[in-house]
Amino acid sequence: MKEKVSCKEVMRYVCECMAQDISSERCIALKEHLESCEHCKQYFKSVELTIDCYRKYNVELPENAHKKLMNFLNLPDE
Amino acid sequence: MMEHKNSQRTRTVNNLSASYVAEESKLIDLAKGGDRKALAQLVKNYEQTIYNFAFKICRHRDKAENITQETFYSMVKNINQFDNKSKLSTWLYRIVANHCLMLARKEKNRQFVSIDNDDSLYDEKYIADYSRLPTKYTENKELKKILDDAISKLSPDYRMIFLLRDVEGLSTEETAEASELSISAVKSRLHRARAFLRNEITRAFER
Repeated sequence: MKEKVSCKEVMRYVCECMAQDISSERCIALKEHLESCEHCKQYFKSVELTIDCYRKYNVELPENAHKKLMNFLNLPDE
Repeated sequence: MMEHKNSQRTRTVNNLSASYVAEESKLIDLAKGGDRKALAQLVKNYEQTIYNFAFKICRHRDKAENITQETFYSMVKNINQFDNKSKLSTWLYRIVANHCLMLARKEKNRQFVSIDNDDSLYDEKYIADYSRLPTKYTENKELKKILDDAISKLSPDYRMIFLLRDVEGLSTEETAEASELSISAVKSRLHRARAFLRNEITRAFER
């Protein structure tokens, strides 16, 4: 018999298993729910988007900070 | 379906080519023998990654600069203890993470949200429209502030796991190694941090 899952379980699953390989019966049931439920699909996308926002938010090491670092370490900067 | 695509920068550090790994291995051997040029090259190869990571943890440029100096000072001092069993990048993430956590512990007056046992993170009320995020989102100052505010509420322990695993693109095993936590502790912190940040950002855009 197929396992039934709730949206809440899918939310937890999305956060727990996003980068995992899923092959268990439970995970397959969760995945099926995810594919057929618009709300959960949207939730999944929103978690992905959140991660993506943080990935794209980067800062550059300023040139003077690089020079200070090499001086501090007493290393040649050629 | 479930795997995230790594950013270009993360790929550069974590999916290195065989020739790069061989070159780095040579540099490490030379550095262990006291070659200052080799040490300098190792610093140059990783300074951007380490500074960027330190900034993402402490959200402050001057602090990130100091942490970067401390991290490379530790690398130069302890390079002979690096055993080549893990990647140099994982070893450096471990050092920088420790320095970030030490700094955070000194700032005792900071208050963070506790999400250790918070099941309401998964409340269905958080399923909401998420289409309000602007397309060029990281160019947007308002969004940067929202991202800073949301992650600043998380304790540095959670922040570190989220950043190592999801943002820097380390594997769960490497994240466990860099953070000196068990794999199950990494997974538990990771899913809570993801849910928390996602809810915070959604809420900010509902305002």
